[in-house]
Amino acid sequence: MHLQLGWRNIWRNPRRTAVIMIAVVIGVWSMIFMGAFHRGMINQMVQNGIATLTGHIQVHYTGYRDDPAIEKSMAEPEVVQTILEKRVPPGARWTARVRVSAVASNARHSGGVTLVGIDPAREAQVSFIGEAVTQGHYLRPDDEYGIVVGEALVEKFETKLGRKLILMSQDTDREIASRAFRIVGIFRAEMEATEKQFVFVTLTAAQRMLKLEKGISELCIVLPDRHEVNEVADNLRAALPPSKYEVHKWRDLLPLVDAYLSLFDTFIYIWFLVVFIAMGFGIVNTTLMAVFERIREFGLLKALGMKPWWIMRGVLTESFLLLVMGMAAGNIVGLLTIFALSGSGIDLSAFAAGAEWAGISRVIYPVIHAKDVTMANLVVFILGLLVSIYPAAKAARFTPVEALAHT
Amino acid sequence: MSIVECVDIKKTYDQGKVEVEALRGVSLSIDTGGFMALAGPSGSGKTTMLNIMGGLDSPDSGSVVVDEHHYDQMNQSELASLRLHKVGFVFQAYNLIPVLSALENVEFVMLLQGVPQAERRERAEAILNDVGLKGMYDRRPAELSGGQQQRVAVARAIVSNPAIVLADEPTANLDSKTGQGLLEMMREMNEKRRVTFVFSTHDQMVMDYARRLVQLRDGLVVDDRVKET
Amino acid sequence: MNVDVKMAWRNIWRNPRRSILTMTAIAFACLLLVFMLSFQFGSYDTMINSAVKIHTGHLQVQAEGYQDKRTMRLVVPDPGAIGSILEQTPGIDAYTYRANAFSLVSSEERTYGIVVIGIDPAREANVSTLKKVIRQGSYLSAEDTNQALLGELLAKNLQVGLGDELVMIGQGRDGSVAATVVEVKGTYNSGQDEFDRSSIHIPLKHFQDVYAMRGGVHEVVALGKSLGAIPAIRKAVAGSIENEDPKHVLVVLDWIDLMPGLIEGIKLDLISGLILYCILILVVAFSILNTFLMAVFERTKEFGVMMAIGTTPRRLTKLLLLESIAMTVIGIVVGIIAGCLITWYFQVHGIAISGMSEVVRQFGIPERMYPKLSFLSVTIGPTLVLFITSLTALYPALRVRRLRPVEALASV
Repeated sequence: MHLQLGWRNIWRNPRRTAVIMIAVVIGVWSMIFMGAFHRGMINQMVQNGIATLTGHIQVHYTGYRDDPAIEKSMAEPEVVQTILEKRVPPGARWTARVRVSAVASNARHSGGVTLVGIDPAREAQVSFIGEAVTQGHYLRPDDEYGIVVGEALVEKFETKLGRKLILMSQDTDREIASRAFRIVGIFRAEMEATEKQFVFVTLTAAQRMLKLEKGISELCIVLPDRHEVNEVADNLRAALPPSKYEVHKWRDLLPLVDAYLSLFDTFIYIWFLVVFIAMGFGIVNTTLMAVFERIREFGLLKALGMKPWWIMRGVLTESFLLLVMGMAAGNIVGLLTIFALSGSGIDLSAFAAGAEWAGISRVIYPVIHAKDVTMANLVVFILGLLVSIYPAAKAARFTPVEALAHT
Repeated sequence: MSIVECVDIKKTYDQGKVEVEALRGVSLSIDTGGFMALAGPSGSGKTTMLNIMGGLDSPDSGSVVVDEHHYDQMNQSELASLRLHKVGFVFQAYNLIPVLSALENVEFVMLLQGVPQAERRERAEAILNDVGLKGMYDRRPAELSGGQQQRVAVARAIVSNPAIVLADEPTANLDSKTGQGLLEMMREMNEKRRVTFVFSTHDQMVMDYARRLVQLRDGLVVDDRVKET
Repeated sequence: MNVDVKMAWRNIWRNPRRSILTMTAIAFACLLLVFMLSFQFGSYDTMINSAVKIHTGHLQVQAEGYQDKRTMRLVVPDPGAIGSILEQTPGIDAYTYRANAFSLVSSEERTYGIVVIGIDPAREANVSTLKKVIRQGSYLSAEDTNQALLGELLAKNLQVGLGDELVMIGQGRDGSVAATVVEVKGTYNSGQDEFDRSSIHIPLKHFQDVYAMRGGVHEVVALGKSLGAIPAIRKAVAGSIENEDPKHVLVVLDWIDLMPGLIEGIKLDLISGLILYCILILVVAFSILNTFLMAVFERTKEFGVMMAIGTTPRRLTKLLLLESIAMTVIGIVVGIIAGCLITWYFQVHGIAISGMSEVVRQFGIPERMYPKLSFLSVTIGPTLVLFITSLTALYPALRVRRLRPVEALASV
């Protein structure tokens, strides 16, 4: 009954209702869309970070994070591996790596890189590199002198597939070890910085070059579900002696992404609020207009014995219907926009260098997150009703006499 | 000499599903300096006739000539300009621009005509004095009584020296005493300034004041007589 | 006062509550935009300046191709000649010479591959902030030879302190092996982790000896009086350099060429910001459209009277536009003033953004941010608001032209 009355009332002036609904629709649309856009951006940042050798959890020799030097290697990886096999949930994948900073050089150039020794088969299940090779081939277990480098590095070093690249680094005896490798594969990555930074050789090649024997720098674990990270990390910490091993979660390993993640929520809620304020003015003004136009009507209703609270409820019902319709349309349009863009993504290639600099992907795929959508709708709904109290209270306060005197 | 010449005016309104024949062939010739009332019950077509004479509305057929201007050859903006210079209007109510003072309401028409400011002010004050509103120049419409508002409306209608003033039930919202005062004032203006007045009315008092009374009924002239004075 | 303006003004105040709400909505949008754009421009300024000050300077003269390849042999062979050109170019505040060589740097404990930078201590102090960010020890002096400055993070990684020795091995300009031992004289903290982790500075003279530079340098770095003056200076410098030998062409690069990522990042940030602002203004526009529309529909009868007494529809349109634009302008002026005041407060006191330190260190912004009022930051937002609301006002103002006097008079 109330709904029906409210419904008829808001369509007494269809144009006005349509205008304010458009404001609500654009507002809600922008909330949902921007939320999804930024969520997509941040998710890709997380995924890129995790795929670019970070994984979900890493195990190192204690002190390695502060001083990633060769002597902070885990000399007995099999001890850790046995524990891992028991402690990680089924479906988790993990791999061992040697990771040291090194100098790459050829006849023309030299520069700093991160030398990563990998177990080709296991690594392919954990990080991006397994599918990133675009020229030549991915490392094979028997590639004793093969190296896989990034496309940007190839350009910088003016080299190509099949050419030699010499790597130098400090070995366990603190001597400079150097070894010549042949480029067997060239990879592409989301970020140019990744292509320039990492060069991959087999684990055994790296161990031999650095006189590590069977030692490794890190164990990198990818879980089937990102949300299990805390639990699994705690579990591992309990099992591994802290004097020898430290366990890190991806958020510790990617402090920049972590900072973005916490900023994101703040940013998006501020945006919700700002957009709401912008449409709040319209909601109040439009409802006020509708109320003042009907002063006589309200006066009459009061004269007939209607209680102020009923009048207030009536006006609030109208706002409620307006908000619900606007929100419904805004949600639909927002979700449709996201759906339409989910295939191709939003291409920022025009600003590739800028995107690279900011650490975001060149193509952003918006991601719908139930929490963002719910928050957007809650903000609009609750605040929308709150601001409608003002005109509703105005309507409830007209006395029959002044209402009837009004022309 | 006639200032208004209407020949065989017909007008039908399309009111949703029903067609209303407001005028079914009215011919009317009004002399300069006339003080004439169009009378008849509501729905007889008198307001429509007035609107057509003022160029607010156009007839379906028939011709209107006001001060040698043929309406059927004029577009909207020419009609607006003709209203500005040749026709004055007084309506039943809400005649005035609420945000302008009495003086400014009167000046507004001259402003549209492009009369220089000093002259505007002088003429407006003179005419407000004539209609008996001396000293109320700066009052806004809301601060004037109904009768005073109508006097401002008359002042505004005649200040531009129009060929004809069309008054649509000017006294309908006034009490009889105020209405009579207004009519007295209008007749004085008619005599003093030789302005032609045409009223639409069903107020007996207006009919009494008129020198010529045209009766309309169902869109046709049923009676047209000039009273002896 | 013009009667149209007077009427518009009075009409606005016929319904003060509605008009004030409308103007507040506009003021809110302007305030927010002034603040946000000043904030963005302020942070861009800081980012550019800190990058310019520590890395690139405003202008560099380099051998063609050096910027991309960073090859030892691509040198500016006679830096003195470039120096005297810069001396004679008006608008240049200071300049200095730098040379870079990728080398293996070893301490007792650790070895890292790092870019070693040769600097002219006296000149460098005028161009970059290096001298000011020294945290331990002291800056290089003119007499120093095998002394070095390094970033705190690098010192930590190498596990060295003041007075410790570092061995540097690299390749000279001629391809020969270059090696030297230097002593840590000072450490610095520039606030940019990447820089503090990967650079080491030694006196240019020593650098040239060790790396067989034969008097050459890689970069002649200049600082102009302001960012705005750079294009003209660049042109002047480029015009004065005589490139006779086609194999050794020297080019003049400005800070945009030197840091393409930074400027693109700024563009990206600015454009995404502007998109957000446009959406916001659009919401505001629809929020206030009803006020503008009401001005027409509420007063239909009045317009009927005005048309009857000879007012042209054109004039009515003008009147309505005046009304809505007056409201917009008042809202904008109030918004700009309030926005400027708030921005000014933060410009003086700064805004601390908690939880941002990681982001901040990545991009070289100080942790306290200072928005910066400028002509652009104050005008861009309000101009957008004016534009979009004027478009909004156009619809009802043009609609009034469809009014026919008779119908208008008949309306209640």
